[in-house]
Amino acid sequence: MAAASRTTLLRQTQLFTSSPSRLLSSTTQPLRILRSAPSTSSRLLLLPKWSAVSRAAAFSTTTKKQILPAGPQVISGTVNDPAPVPKPDPLHGSYHWTFERLLSVGLVPLTIAPFAAGSVSPALDAALIFSIIVHSHMGFQSIIIDYIPIHKHPTLRKTFMWLLNLATVVVAIGFYEFETNDVGVAEAVKRIWHAGKNDATIGKTDVSALGHDGKLKNLK
Amino acid sequence: MAALRTASRLAAPTRSFWRPSFAARSYATITENSSYDTSASRPPVSPSKTSTVEEPKPDKDARIKTFHIYRWNPDEPTSKPRMQTYTLDLNKTGPMMLDALIRIKNEVDPTLTFRRSCREGICGSCAMNIDGVNTLACLCRIPTNTAKETRIYPLPHTYVVKDLVPDLTHFYKQYKSIKPFLQRDTPSPDGKENRQSPAERKKLDGLYECILCACCSTSCPSYWWNSDQYLGPAILLQSYRWLADSRDERKAERKEALENSMSLYRCHTILNCSRTCPKGLNPAKAIAEIKKSMSFA
Repeated sequence: MAAASRTTLLRQTQLFTSSPSRLLSSTTQPLRILRSAPSTSSRLLLLPKWSAVSRAAAFSTTTKKQILPAGPQVISGTVNDPAPVPKPDPLHGSYHWTFERLLSVGLVPLTIAPFAAGSVSPALDAALIFSIIVHSHMGFQSIIIDYIPIHKHPTLRKTFMWLLNLATVVVAIGFYEFETNDVGVAEAVKRIWHAGKNDATIGKTDVSALGHDGKLKNLK
Repeated sequence: MAALRTASRLAAPTRSFWRPSFAARSYATITENSSYDTSASRPPVSPSKTSTVEEPKPDKDARIKTFHIYRWNPDEPTSKPRMQTYTLDLNKTGPMMLDALIRIKNEVDPTLTFRRSCREGICGSCAMNIDGVNTLACLCRIPTNTAKETRIYPLPHTYVVKDLVPDLTHFYKQYKSIKPFLQRDTPSPDGKENRQSPAERKKLDGLYECILCACCSTSCPSYWWNSDQYLGPAILLQSYRWLADSRDERKAERKEALENSMSLYRCHTILNCSRTCPKGLNPAKAIAEIKKSMSFA
């Protein structure tokens, strides 16, 4: 009985979605299947367009214009069928999680080491940068997976994933340039930390303290 | 009726030789020689001769509490959901939120719809969002501060059937997908029950008490966004209940079913589940235990 009525509602909603009046109601009504079913209410159709504002009741959800609305309820199969179990994929499952955690734990000594040791090794710096890039890439991937559901917005998901890949490559190239042509991350942080003490260029222009490349000659 | 009464009186005279007067059955009929005026046109007694019936005075010690309750009727699908306000005297209401809801339904508004069954936190039917916290109405005390108004919503991010009744179909389908029953391939050694040591049994404490009220799952932002694929804290706690069971022999298959990016690993340790559980369980710990066992085993 319940299942039968649900399918009826679903069908009505599909009709509703295809009708042009759908656009009008989407701003005032949250998209819930059980709510928005019969679109052919004569009262609604007789209403002039400008009254859409007055139909907004006092009750409202967090936003009126949802970015990715939840959409109607979809129940695959009957109510007695179990929800489908996805194919096992350890690379996106436990291996992924373990790698993510190990990387996070590894970042702690990598961040402290250059400052604790006092010396900056290019290899250590490169390892730190590489870890940070991979770590943040995985973090952003997680955000995209969380907020862009693949079944409802497959194209959007793919687009954002590729945008993320592009961004990561650009950031990686930028850091490579910074590591090879400039001082490197650890050294940069160190200099910014001691900016007032060491950098003669802040506040006063003492050209004699600078070397031929514009960098400080004798850095503490 | 009157005709029947007259006819029966004719057939059975009020007095006879065999039936003395004291045994005669009398009827509540006013005879002709009555002094009462029974005519339909008789004038009413003037109000000066009758007492005045006043509206019952409100109790001086009444503790009037305001309840705002989410209402939505599927019979009027075009109308928006609304918050309806009810006021109750807490002196005449039981201590729990469910008492207040039942009193509203009994005495004020019979159209208010909610699920309830055991009224003692065992069935998990009355799960709802009370003052911003997912909890069981039967385990939630009404705050005695009458200045503060109480707001009751259905469980968040669920499809609403009516008023405070959420549709938990997918939740139960997900529960079914983890095969919540003992799976064994070998018979027990003595052909009787599958035995367990007290230490092994102790591992199930804090897991078997879950009543699947869906309070934790519907408080999880990750479950809000991805409830179609992510199993949610309640189902994962149940999954761990079978992974931790020493008698179960399909642990590998159970873990394999969670071995993807969505089912288990959408948990980001937000811990809303452990915070909201009305039974005081810790679903986040169970999920962490699953992750650990899948990672280092």
